Amino acid sequence: MTYSYSFVLWLFVAANLAGFLGALLGVGGGIFIVPVMVLMFHLPIKIAVAASIVSVIATSNAGGSSYVDQRITNLRLAMFLEIATTVGALSGAVLALYLKAWVMLMVFAVLLAYMAWAAYSTRNLDDQRIARGDFARTRQDRLSAFLKLRGSYHDLAAGKTVEYVVTGAPIGTFIAYLAGLASGLLGVGGGVIKVSAMNRYMNVPMKVAVGTSKLMIGVTAAVGSILFFLAGMIHFMVVAPVALGTTLGATLGTMVMNRLKSVALKWLFAALMLYLAYGMLAQALQLGFGVHLPRVS
Amino acid sequence: MTKGKQPEREVVSEDNVYADVYRVLLGGMIASVLFFLAGVVRALMHPQPVPLGSDWIRSHYHWGALVDGLKAGDATTLAMLGTILLILTPVARVLVSIYAFFVDRDYQYVVITGIVFLVIVLTVVLAHFGLT
Repeated sequence: MTYSYSFVLWLFVAANLAGFLGALLGVGGGIFIVPVMVLMFHLPIKIAVAASIVSVIATSNAGGSSYVDQRITNLRLAMFLEIATTVGALSGAVLALYLKAWVMLMVFAVLLAYMAWAAYSTRNLDDQRIARGDFARTRQDRLSAFLKLRGSYHDLAAGKTVEYVVTGAPIGTFIAYLAGLASGLLGVGGGVIKVSAMNRYMNVPMKVAVGTSKLMIGVTAAVGSILFFLAGMIHFMVVAPVALGTTLGATLGTMVMNRLKSVALKWLFAALMLYLAYGMLAQALQLGFGVHLPRVS
Repeated sequence: MTKGKQPEREVVSEDNVYADVYRVLLGGMIASVLFFLAGVVRALMHPQPVPLGSDWIRSHYHWGALVDGLKAGDATTLAMLGTILLILTPVARVLVSIYAFFVDRDYQYVVITGIVFLVIVLTVVLAHFGLT
C-alpha cells in the first residue's frame, strides 16, 4: 500500500461524510466507513474493521462532547447501558479475531439491511409524542425507577423543554449487549441498534437517544480497539485520515442535528444502507463460494 | 456553557459530571487530532509503501521504537500516538465520571460506572494474556 495524496484525500473525504451522517443519526459512521474501505479502497475487511472502530471513538468524542455540553445526553442511562455494551464489545472483538472474512462480510450485510429497515420504520420521529407530552407520562419498570432513569432536554426544533421518564431497562440491557457484540465484531459503534432500542423500548426521545448513544459508542469502541491494538491489527496510517475525517464530519453534523427534522434524511439513510448491504453481500458470496452477483453502480 | 441548561433538580445535581465529561472528551479529541495531523503531514512529505502485516505493526510497540520514531518524526509513530490517545479518551471519561459521581455522592452510579471500568480492565488483561 502506498501512502499517496489521492489515497489520503479520498479516505478523508469519505470519512468526513460518514462522520457527518453518523452524527445526524447517532451512529459512529463505522457502518459507512467499513464498506467504503472494503468496496472502494479494496482494503482487507479486518484492516477496515480495526481502523473503523478507532475512528468511531473519534466521532464519539466529537459528537458526544457537544451533546453532553447541550445537556441532551442522559449520562445515567449511558453509564448503565455501558455495562452491557462493553461486555458485548469484548465478546464481539474476540469473535472477530477468529471468524473468516466472508462470514464477517455476510454478517455486515445483514446488519446493514436491518439498519435500512430500522431507519425507514422510525422515519416519522417522535414529533407528535413531543407535542402531546407523552414522554413524561409513561409508567417506569422497577429497575428503571431504582436507577433514577429520567431527564429533560431543550428541543430547538420543537421550541420547548421535553421531559421524559425511562422504562424497559431489562430489554434495553439485552439490546445494548447485542449492539456491543456487533460493534466489536464489525468495527461499528452499534449506534443505530442503541438508538432504536432506546427510542422504541425505553421511551427515550429520539434526540436524547442519539446523544446518549453517541457517548456510549466511545467506550464500546474503546473496548474493541484495545483488543485490536494489542493484536497488531490497527493500521495507524489508515486510521489517521479516517479519524481526522470522521472527527470533522461529526463536529459539523452535531451542529445541525438539534435543529433538524430528519424524515428526508432517514429515507436517504435507508437507501444508502440497502445499497451497501448489497455490495457487502456480493463480496461475501464471491469470497466464500465464488458466486458473482451482478454489479450495481 | 449555559445553553439548554435545565432547572430540574436531578439534572442540576449532575452538573459536575456533565462538565467533567465534556472537558475530557474535548481534550482527548484535540490531542489526538494534532497527532493524526502531524502523522498525515509527515507521511505526505515522504510517501512510501507501508506493509499491512500485524508483525510490522507490532514492531512499533516498544519504548525504544517510540522514542526513536518521535525523534525522527516518523509518520506511523505519530499516528500510533494519536490512536493511543483516542483509545484512552473514553477510558479517562469513565474514570472521571466515577470521581464526579463520587463528589455528587451518587454512590449507586459510582458502582455502575466502576463496573464499566472493570470490563475495560478485563479486556486489557484478556488481550494481554490470553487472546493474542
